[in-house]
Amino acid sequence: MSGRDDEALAIKTVHEGAQEYLVKGQVDSRLLVRSMRYAIERKRAEEALAKERDLLHTLLENLPDRIYFKDEQSRFLRISRAVMNQFKIDDPAYAIGKSDVDFFSPDHAQVALHDEQLVMRTGEPIIGKVERETLPDGTVTWALTSKLPMRDKTGRVVGNFGISRDITILKKIESKLAEDRNLLRSLIDNLPDYIYVKDTRYRYIIDNIAHRRFLGASTEEEVIGKTVGDFFPKEFVEQFSRDDQSIIEKGEILVNREELLVVAGKRRWHSTTKVPLRNNEGQVIGLVGISRDITERKEAEEKVRQANAELASSKEELEKVLADLRKSHEELKSAQFQLIQAEKMQSVGRLAAGVAHEVKNPLAILGMGIDYMTKNLVSQDGNVELILNDMNDALKRADSIILGLLDFSVPRALDLHSEDLSVIVEQSLALVKHELASYPITLVRELGTDLPPVYVDKHKIKQVLVNILTNAIHAMLSGGTLTVRTHSRKLGATEVDHDHGWRLADRFRVGETVVICETIDTGVGIPPEKLAKIFDPFFTTKPTGKGTGLGLTVTKKIVELHGGTIDIRNRSEGGVIVTLMFKV
Amino acid sequence: MDKKRILIVDDEASFTRMVKLNLEKTGQFDVREENKGTYAVAAAREFKPDLILLDVIMPNMDGGDIFAQLQSDRNLKMTPVIFLTATVSQREAGVKGFNSGGALFLAKPVTLENLIACINQNVRKPEPEEA
Repeated sequence: MSGRDDEALAIKTVHEGAQEYLVKGQVDSRLLVRSMRYAIERKRAEEALAKERDLLHTLLENLPDRIYFKDEQSRFLRISRAVMNQFKIDDPAYAIGKSDVDFFSPDHAQVALHDEQLVMRTGEPIIGKVERETLPDGTVTWALTSKLPMRDKTGRVVGNFGISRDITILKKIESKLAEDRNLLRSLIDNLPDYIYVKDTRYRYIIDNIAHRRFLGASTEEEVIGKTVGDFFPKEFVEQFSRDDQSIIEKGEILVNREELLVVAGKRRWHSTTKVPLRNNEGQVIGLVGISRDITERKEAEEKVRQANAELASSKEELEKVLADLRKSHEELKSAQFQLIQAEKMQSVGRLAAGVAHEVKNPLAILGMGIDYMTKNLVSQDGNVELILNDMNDALKRADSIILGLLDFSVPRALDLHSEDLSVIVEQSLALVKHELASYPITLVRELGTDLPPVYVDKHKIKQVLVNILTNAIHAMLSGGTLTVRTHSRKLGATEVDHDHGWRLADRFRVGETVVICETIDTGVGIPPEKLAKIFDPFFTTKPTGKGTGLGLTVTKKIVELHGGTIDIRNRSEGGVIVTLMFKV
Repeated sequence: MDKKRILIVDDEASFTRMVKLNLEKTGQFDVREENKGTYAVAAAREFKPDLILLDVIMPNMDGGDIFAQLQSDRNLKMTPVIFLTATVSQREAGVKGFNSGGALFLAKPVTLENLIACINQNVRKPEPEEA
C-alpha cells in the first residue's frame, strides 16, 4: 500500500517481490479483498513455478545424460551441465545462440541438423538413435539420442530438444565383443576340427565349416535347428544322444573319446570332447562339442602296431632261426670235427695198411731167415740161440703191431649174432685169467643174468673186452680190485642230453633200452691231460714194449662199428671206469 | 720119393730165396723162384709145379691176374695155388690159411712150419703114369 500513485514505483515494487501495488485512497474493501486473493494465488503460482524451475535445473545440472533445447534454427537455447562438460565450457551462456557446427565436426553437425529439421518439420520424434559424434579435436564419441519437437502453447513447433546418453564405453565394449565374436568365428570356421554347439534339445545352434562339410551340408541353414538324427545312422544317433543327455542333464564332460564312425560308407575315427555350455547363472543351456578326425593317426598307429607285431614276430622267428643256426653251427662244428677225426683216422688207416703191407714182406723174409738159421746154424756160442730167440720175439711183436694196424685200418665185416653180453664177458675173463693171476688183483663179478640179448660180433667184442681188461690189469700191477659189471636199463632224458661229450644223443634215444658193461679198476688212473688222447693211434701210457698204442683205437672202432659207445673216465675215488653201452 | 715141385712167384727176391733155401733144405721140395709176375705163367708151363706159392700184390701183374690165367690154362688149372699175402692178417687167415675162390690164403709173415704143413696138405698128389 502506498500513498503515491506512481506507476514506475509500482512496477519496481512488484519486480522486487510485491504481489500488488495499491494506492491509498483508491482502494475500497472489495478491491482490497480481490487484490489479496489474487496476491495469494500469484504467490502460489510463483512458488509452483519456482519449484518446477528448480526441478528442471536439478535435472539439467545433475543428469549425466546430455539435454539441450534448440530454437527453430537449431541454435542452443539451453544446455545441461553434461552438455557443458562435453563442450568443455564453464558458462552455459557461451553456447546459447550457437549450433552443433560450433562444437562438432561438420559431418556430424550436418547430420544432426538434418535430423532436427526433420523432427521439426514432421513433428515426429527420433527416439533412441545411435549417433557417432566427432568433436573438433577428432575425439569420437557415441551417443544414444532422442530428438523431439518443441511446441508453444498453441502447439506450433518452435524448436526442438533432445536428450542423448554417452554410450561410447558401451560401443567400445560392443565393438570389442564384435571383434571377439569375429575372432572366435574366424577361428572356429578355419579350424579343421568339427565344432558345434547344441541347445538343451540337442539341436545344433552353431557349427563351423569343417563340421558342416563333415555332415555333408553346405550352408549353415542346413544344419542349424537339426539334430544328429538328421545326419547319422541310427546306431550312432543312440550313442550320441546318450552322451549329449549325460552332458546336458548331469553336466558331465566327455574328453577325447575316440569313436569309430561310418559316414557315407567311409570309416572315420574321431576324437571327441563335449562340455556343457552354461549361462551366467551357471545353468546348462546346451553343449559345446569339438571333434577331430584322427583316422590317419589311428591308421598310422594300427600300421605301427602291426609293424611292431610283425617285428616282434620277425624277431621271434629270427631268434628261432638264429638259435637253429647256432645249433646247426654247433652240429656242423661237431660233424666237422668228427669228419676231420674220421678223415684223420682214414688217413692213418690207409697209411697203416700201406705200412703193414710193406713191413710184412720184410718181416716174412726175416722170419724165413730166422727159421733157416735156427734149423741150420750150428754154433759153439750159446748166445746164438738166445739171440735168435730174441729176434724171433721181436719179429712177433712187430707182427702184432702190424696186426693191430690192420685191424684198425681195414673195415671188417662184422659177424653179428644175438649174444648175451655177460657170457662174452665171462669168455673174455677166461682169456685174461693168466695175466690176472700174475698180480694180486681181486676180481669182482657183478654180471646180470637176464640181460636182453645184444646183436654183436662176439669175437670182436671179446677183443674189445680183453683189451680193456688187460689195460685194467696193467694199471694195478701192485694189486687192486677189478670189478666187472653188466646190466641193462632204459636211458633217461638227462643222461642223453647231458652226457658231457659222450655223444650218446648221436647213437641213442631217450627211453631206449641199452646193455651196459662196466669195468672198474682201483689202479693208477689216467693223467687228466692225457684223457683226451687215449683213443688216438699210437698213444700209450704203458712202458715201451708193453703196448702197441693201438689197443684203445681199435677198441673204439669196433665198439662204434656195433653202434655202441665207450666211455673212459677217472673215478673220484681213484682208478678208472670204462663203460660200454650197446643197443638191445 | 720124388720131390715136390714148388713154384714161388713174388717180387721180393730175398723172400723167394729164403723160402727156396728153407724148403729145399728139408729135402722134400724142388723150388723155382719167379720174381716177375708177367713171367709167372710161362714159368709154370715150363716148370710144371705141384704147387704154386703166389704173392698177391706185385708190380705189372698181380696175383689175382696170374691166378686167372692159370685157371684158364688147361694144363695148369688143376695146380694148387697158395696165396702168400701181406694184405690179410694171421688172425683172419689163420695159421692154416683160408680158402677163397678156389685158392688158399696164407698171411705173411708165415712160419716155415706152417708153410710146410700147408704145402703138404694142398700139394697135388702125383697122378699115376698113363699106360
